[in-house]
Amino acid sequence: MNIDRRKFVSRSFAGAAGILAGSHLKGLSAPGRLTAKQEEALSSKPEKYDLMREVMKYRKIDAHAHIYFADNSPREQLDFGERLGIEKQVISRYLSIMPGTPEQFREYNDLTIKAIKKYPDHLLGGFVLNPAYKKESLEEIKRCTDAGMIGPGELYYQVKINDPLYYPIIEKLIELKMIIFSHAECQLGVGGYRMKYNGYKEPNTSIPEDFVDIARRYPEGIFQYAHIGGGGDWEYMCKTLQHSPNVYVDTSGSNNAENMIDFAVELLGEDRLFFASDNSYHQSIGKILASNLTEAQKKKVFFDNYNNLLKKGGRNVD
Amino acid sequence: MLIDINAYVGHWPFMQLKYNTCEALGQRMDRFGVDVSLISNLNGIFYKNTQSANKELYEEIKASKRYRDRFVPFAVINPIYAGWQYDLEECVRKFGMKGIRVYPKYHDYEINDPSLIELVKKARDMNLPVAFNYKMVDSRQRSWMDIDYVAYTPRPEWTLKNIFPIIKEVPDARYMILNVTNSMQLNEADAALFNKANVLMDTSGRTLTDMGSLLKTQGKERFAFGTHSPILDYLTGMLRIEALRENEADAATKELLRSGNAKKFLGL
Repeated sequence: MNIDRRKFVSRSFAGAAGILAGSHLKGLSAPGRLTAKQEEALSSKPEKYDLMREVMKYRKIDAHAHIYFADNSPREQLDFGERLGIEKQVISRYLSIMPGTPEQFREYNDLTIKAIKKYPDHLLGGFVLNPAYKKESLEEIKRCTDAGMIGPGELYYQVKINDPLYYPIIEKLIELKMIIFSHAECQLGVGGYRMKYNGYKEPNTSIPEDFVDIARRYPEGIFQYAHIGGGGDWEYMCKTLQHSPNVYVDTSGSNNAENMIDFAVELLGEDRLFFASDNSYHQSIGKILASNLTEAQKKKVFFDNYNNLLKKGGRNVD
Repeated sequence: MLIDINAYVGHWPFMQLKYNTCEALGQRMDRFGVDVSLISNLNGIFYKNTQSANKELYEEIKASKRYRDRFVPFAVINPIYAGWQYDLEECVRKFGMKGIRVYPKYHDYEINDPSLIELVKKARDMNLPVAFNYKMVDSRQRSWMDIDYVAYTPRPEWTLKNIFPIIKEVPDARYMILNVTNSMQLNEADAALFNKANVLMDTSGRTLTDMGSLLKTQGKERFAFGTHSPILDYLTGMLRIEALRENEADAATKELLRSGNAKKFLGL
């Protein structure tokens, strides 16, 4: 093998004159495949990586976050935002309650309105509704828009996103140039997928196929598929959504699987991902910085992609 | 210095993994400034005879001095499979392995199985740590062929309560608890025992959102940097440490989390 040191270092990982050098691995005395010269050449330590500098380098809009009916909310969310350099968080209180009556969604939205009025520099508001109540939902869109919200928050599992009950709601959101954002899952036994298993979830949970369906019906709509890191099968999600160009995915969720972001960009393209946390703040940033995206691509995912769509309705951050 | 106490090479049969060889993992370590990784072979979860996986790891590491300098291998042992006592001896004496990884759910035995108790006592007597984890992958993305402990179902993912019985049974062994992804709650009596046990937890798990508070309640000596690589991304476990504020973890405490606790626990 004829290889110079620079090339070798660039494509091999370097040895470290570390704490393990010498006799630590008792028994591991067999000769290596590398020549002694090559081994000797690779004796430097890894370069220091300044993680927090990387974290703070990028402007960020968190396209999917939540607040709660709790004493420490939204203070806790704001603390993470400050700690991790998240400029704006799009918050909602998702309607995780059945049946999701107008009284309930108004109460949930009131919480969000209160928060965005108190912290206008850091929080953007998203409203929730239940399309089973058409009149009240359309009225709620107006009430919340008048209160300064930028669009729907994470719409939940009361009704599937492609159910005809959603049509008048979606048409109104398209008219207002808002991003149509819904919860979704992709798991055995959930929402119509492989129902011989039982995922113990609400039957009307939206799945990727539902997004493909509604995005085809409304090609002028801009859809946000929630949390590819929400624990479900992200490979399945991305493959299903690959040919639906008006479906964007947010990267949030507690699952920070290695290669998730690279895989999503490979299939969907660098313009169809939104950085988001769903309140899993560390994972949300770690998975993007650990990816192989270029700096320009990271900039798009962390900020520009979402902000550019907000611009269509004049609701952009800057 | 950074020591990753929770990394792997090998394959996951239901999903392609990246960076799952010593060479590729080493490149991740160089890119992100990690000096040393404790590794085991994922294949040992799926081979009936786990020793084949341990031999694979041994062969891979011995191929290069760089690997021997940067990796600390752990053995995968299944205490209900034939010959595990001899395997363990070989792993330690010949292969230079420094700890044990066990997988009760994948290897199909209970946490209080007499064979596991025997293994943990033997590990204690050999001064080897035994590593448990909450889970390997997020159950919500599981393959139909994977084990069926699934979040939010009547057969949920493990919590600390599922691991604790072995600690109670052999309280003077050394334990690593990895990928802490669900509840750490125990009843008062068990929590008191747990707090006395010699336990090191890694920072890869999603439950460790509020590290600042956990350092106060659990103690700053009980956590160490871990990635759960290549299953989880390489940086989140690091970010949980680096994003701590000065009033949550001063410089000395951060050094404990980056490498000090691991060095002390493992006797490096």
